[in-house]
Amino acid sequence: MGILTCLLFMGLKLKLEDIPRKKIPGSSIIYIPSGKYLKLATFGYSSFLADLVYLWAIQYYGDLSITDRFRYFEHIFSIISELDPHYVDPYEVAALIALYDAKDISLALKMLDLGFSKNPDMWIFPLEAGHYAQVYKRDIALAKEYYKKAMEIEGAPQIARRLYANAAFRTMDFQTAWETWLEVYKTAQDEQIKKIASNHLYQVKAAVDLRAIRAALVKFKLKYRRYPAELVQLVRAGFIPFIPKDFDGKDYLYNPQTGEVKTPVIPWKR
Amino acid sequence: MKIKVIALNTFKEAIRDRILYLLFFFAATSIIFSLVLALVTVGDKIKIIKDVGLASLSLFGALMAILIGTGLVYKEIEKRTIFTLLSKPIGRAEFLLGKFFGLALTLLVMLLLMSLIFLALVFFHTFKLEWRIGLAIFYIFLELILLTSVAILFSSFTTPILSSLFSLSFYLIGHFSWGLEILIKKKKSGLARILLQFLYTLLPDLENFNFKTEVVHRLPISFKFLSYSLLYGLVYTLFILILAVLVFRRRDFT
Repeated sequence: MGILTCLLFMGLKLKLEDIPRKKIPGSSIIYIPSGKYLKLATFGYSSFLADLVYLWAIQYYGDLSITDRFRYFEHIFSIISELDPHYVDPYEVAALIALYDAKDISLALKMLDLGFSKNPDMWIFPLEAGHYAQVYKRDIALAKEYYKKAMEIEGAPQIARRLYANAAFRTMDFQTAWETWLEVYKTAQDEQIKKIASNHLYQVKAAVDLRAIRAALVKFKLKYRRYPAELVQLVRAGFIPFIPKDFDGKDYLYNPQTGEVKTPVIPWKR
Repeated sequence: MKIKVIALNTFKEAIRDRILYLLFFFAATSIIFSLVLALVTVGDKIKIIKDVGLASLSLFGALMAILIGTGLVYKEIEKRTIFTLLSKPIGRAEFLLGKFFGLALTLLVMLLLMSLIFLALVFFHTFKLEWRIGLAIFYIFLELILLTSVAILFSSFTTPILSSLFSLSFYLIGHFSWGLEILIKKKKSGLARILLQFLYTLLPDLENFNFKTEVVHRLPISFKFLSYSLLYGLVYTLFILILAVLVFRRRDFT
C-alpha cells in the first residue's frame, strides 16, 4: 500500500511538471524587503545570505526570457550591499550587467559608486567607473574625476595616474596633464613607461605652444591681412613674448602660405 | 574528579545520540555543497566556500548544543536515574557541571570534525591555512559553550520542548540585540531609555563572537576586542551556570 501511494504521488509530480503554469516575471523578488531590514532577520548570517542572494541574482539576470528583469535591479543589488557591504564581486558584476545587458551606463556607474561608497579604500571601483565613463559614456570630464579618485587611493596601479593625465589632456586641462605626466616620468621604474610619459609631455607642451602660436597668428592675420613670413615676426609685432621650441628643443614647422604650424615629429615616433 | 567522571560519561552518552550524527551529516553535506554554489558564482569562489562553511559550523553547532543540551538533565529526571545519581556522594552542582563539560567536550569533537572537512576544502582551493579561520571557529565554539550552558539551565527545570524554544530564543535574541541598540539611540533620554539600556546590557550579545565577516574579507580584528569577547563569553557562561546550579539545587524531584 505504501509503495503504491509513493509511486502514485511521484507520477503525479511528474505530470504536474508538464502542465505549463503562468508566472509573473520577477514575482519571487517583489516582496523582498530592503537590505537594511533584511539584515535584522539574518541573526549573524548576513554574509551568507548575501552570497545566496548574489548567486540567485546571477541566475535571475542570466535568464533572458524575463523581459522586465531590470525593474528591481537596483533593489536587488542594494540588498546584497546592505547585507555584506565589503563583498566586491556583486558591484562589479552588477555594473557589467547594467552596461552590457540593460544598456544603462548611468545604472552601471551607480553600482560602482555604491561599491566605492561602501569600500572607499578600493581603487577598482573608481578605476572601472572612469573606464566606463570614458569609453561608453564618452564623458572625459567625468572619467577624469573618477581616475583622480582611483589614483589617490593607496595601492592603486600606476595606470590610474596615466589615465588621469590623459583625461586631463583631453579636457584641455594642460597644466594638470603636464604636472601629472611629469610625475609619471620622474617616478617611472620602467623605461617603456618613461618613454610613454616623455611622449605625452611632448604632446602637452606642443598643444600649449601651438595654441599660443596659432592665437598670435590669428591676431597677426587680422592686423596685417597676411600671415608672417617667419614666426619671429610675431614676437616683433608683440603678439607673443617668444617663439617656443618643442620638448626636444627643435623649432615647430611653419607654413607661411597657409599659416599652418605643427610639430616637427609625431610624438609617438620620437 | 567527580565532575570529570560525569563529564566523560555524558560525553560517551551524547556521542551516541542519533541527532548528533544527523546534524553532522547535514553540516558536512552543507559544507561540501558550498563547492557547488562556488561553481555558479561569478567572482571569488573561496568567499562562498568560507561563508557557507562558517555558517554551517555555527548553525549546526548551535542546533547540536540546543537539541542535545535541552535533554541532558531532563532525561535523568524522567528516567528517575537522577535519584540514583544524587544518592551518591555527589553534589547537585557537580552533577550539573559534569553534564556541562561532557556536552562541551562532545561539541568540541563534532566541531573539530566539521572544521576538518571545511578546512580541507579551503586548503584544496587556496593551498594555505589561514589562522583567522581558526580564530573564527574558536569563537564559534565559545558561542556554543554559552548556548550549552543556557540549554542546561532550561533543561534543569522544564521540558525539552520548552527548553529548546527558550534556548533558541536566547540564540535569536543574542543575534538581534544590536537592533535594540538602534532603538535606544532613537529614544530620547528618560526612564524608557534607561530601562532599554539595562535590558540591552543584560541580554546576550552573541554578535561579539561572530567574526565570519572579518575572516572572509580579511578585515583587521582588534586584539582588545578579541580579549574582551573571550572574557564576556566566559563570564556570561559562568553566570548562566551559577543560575542553573541555583535552580537545580532548589528543584524537588518527588
